[in-house]
Amino acid sequence: MTLAPKDRTRRSFLYRELESAGAVFDELNGAAAAMSYGADAEAEAAQARSLGLCDLSALPRTGFKGWNMSAWLKAQGAEMSEASNIVTPQADGTRIARLAPGEALLLGNYRGHGPLIEKADSAWSMQEADGCFQVPRAETNFWLALSGSHVPALFAKICAVDLRPESFATHSVAQTNVARLNAIIIRADTGEVPQFDLLSDIASAVYLWRALLDAMAEFGGKPVGLAALQELN
Amino acid sequence: MKLMHCPLNGWRNIQEFTHGGEVVAEPDPNRCSDAEWAEFVFMEENKAGMVREWWCHTATAYWFIAERDTVKDEIIRTYDAGEVFKERIEFTRPEPPKEA
Repeated sequence: MTLAPKDRTRRSFLYRELESAGAVFDELNGAAAAMSYGADAEAEAAQARSLGLCDLSALPRTGFKGWNMSAWLKAQGAEMSEASNIVTPQADGTRIARLAPGEALLLGNYRGHGPLIEKADSAWSMQEADGCFQVPRAETNFWLALSGSHVPALFAKICAVDLRPESFATHSVAQTNVARLNAIIIRADTGEVPQFDLLSDIASAVYLWRALLDAMAEFGGKPVGLAALQELN
Repeated sequence: MKLMHCPLNGWRNIQEFTHGGEVVAEPDPNRCSDAEWAEFVFMEENKAGMVREWWCHTATAYWFIAERDTVKDEIIRTYDAGEVFKERIEFTRPEPPKEA
């Protein structure tokens, strides 16, 4: 018998959508993550290279903001770009997206690792970290990945920012409107298959999931499991 | 679609922005009269011509300043509020009246 989302206290904000799409779950970071959709692994990997939508809500993420954010995070061992809207990959696999001079977003990798995230979250306290405040992204933002050669064409329908690979380089960040929601878009691939992270407010998770699947239909896009995405990276 | 240049995020559709009113100097709340404070809080000059206004990029909650020509309906320049407000403003409590 496979794991059901309700077997775990932590669930994806989209777990009902994932269940009805036929997801097969496995445990990741104490949550049930949609690892595949029952198709054979090769077909699902091919789907991810063409156009796939993957729920990453079980993966670690956090954020910090404030005038002293940069100095505090650097004291925890983080490296960060001075310019805004750029991602700096860390040695441990964590990625740090500088959203503004006083705000950063920390994302774990697709295997569920992000030691720096755990370290920073447990080191932070209101009393100790003067001028640096925690932004609990894991509780406030859902996280999706869009992968495949059709992603730039898909984004052209729902987002006004030019996200074609030639104008939106790897590690670029765009904070903008996607299907009328405020969202953070990050280009995550390093070459062959275009791949983007998308984070937005949890209250609209189901809406955006459905809107994306609707917009993807004309390109043959479908949900893909986390296993297919791990295969790509 | 009209475009606006956000100093943090670059060119974006005007739909992504919220207007925040004129940039005016704040009177000292501990010393000014009620009339001066009401003028600051509630009144807009609503000038025809060049104006300096607060704008917010909604997707990032980032406030900045824009100079706009309201007659030609053109955005002339946008810049970080740090260019105008160089120092942190501290708010102090008014001193209690001395007992007689």
